[in-house]
Amino acid sequence: MSMSGPRYLEHDEKTVVIVMTSGPSTPNRCATPFYLGALLASMDADVTIFFTMEGVRLVTRGVPETLAAMAGGKPIIEFMREAKQAGVKFHACRPALPGYDLDVDDLVPEVDELSSGGALADMILSCDKVLFF
Amino acid sequence: MSAHGCEFHPDLYYDAEFQIWVRPESDGTASVGMTDISQTIAGKVLHVRVRKPGNLRPKGKPVATVETGKWAGPVPNPFDCTIEAGNEAVLDDPSLLNRDPYRHWIARVKPRAPIAAACADLLTGEAARQGFEERCRRDDIRCKRLAD
Repeated sequence: MSMSGPRYLEHDEKTVVIVMTSGPSTPNRCATPFYLGALLASMDADVTIFFTMEGVRLVTRGVPETLAAMAGGKPIIEFMREAKQAGVKFHACRPALPGYDLDVDDLVPEVDELSSGGALADMILSCDKVLFF
Repeated sequence: MSAHGCEFHPDLYYDAEFQIWVRPESDGTASVGMTDISQTIAGKVLHVRVRKPGNLRPKGKPVATVETGKWAGPVPNPFDCTIEAGNEAVLDDPSLLNRDPYRHWIARVKPRAPIAAACADLLTGEAARQGFEERCRRDDIRCKRLAD
């Protein structure tokens, strides 16, 4: 099977929001959003990953360090750090924390901001693309 | 010359994290490629896409995008420049970057400033070697090459 796609890139800068609702109960859904985020950021997109619902458990200390999308695979924390290095911003949903008995101090330092549901709504209404995982 | 099994060339210029190398060319352009450290971390390169020639790229914006099975990310741009060309051989066979990352450049760029001034903030020579070794030691990086 041949691989397709343009050899040269020419995109305008876009803003993309990835809403991450998946967490440790579905590990095979937990790597691709960061891979895609890193790729989009390296193609000049301004990318924010917004962790809500079970997604907040994924940014809890001790979880991404030990979780992999597949048996023996790379830990999710490495996918997260690569996305961050590419320029992706991480927001965690503050209202989602109590539902999982989480506190702000429980979150990994990779999280840039704690945000409200209203902040997510603003992002969705103002960005170019929204993806849900 | 090598450190932790990672090939190092003291005549090239490097960013602070040793993700890329830069080689000034005689015509005032510069070649940009991945270091041995970068190709090892990335794994077998499946796709490389370069920004379209003629594009102005400010410092920090990627000159190219690299994808492997487990990693995707930018080839960062160390200075303000214009894309002159992509390496067609690498675009045809991205795994060349895993076989010999210093022989195969990814993009050729024209710095906005004279080449010497553009490279002034990059690392080269002994200072680069020390930083390169430190990065390998800090992150316990042991380079691997794809066999021909």
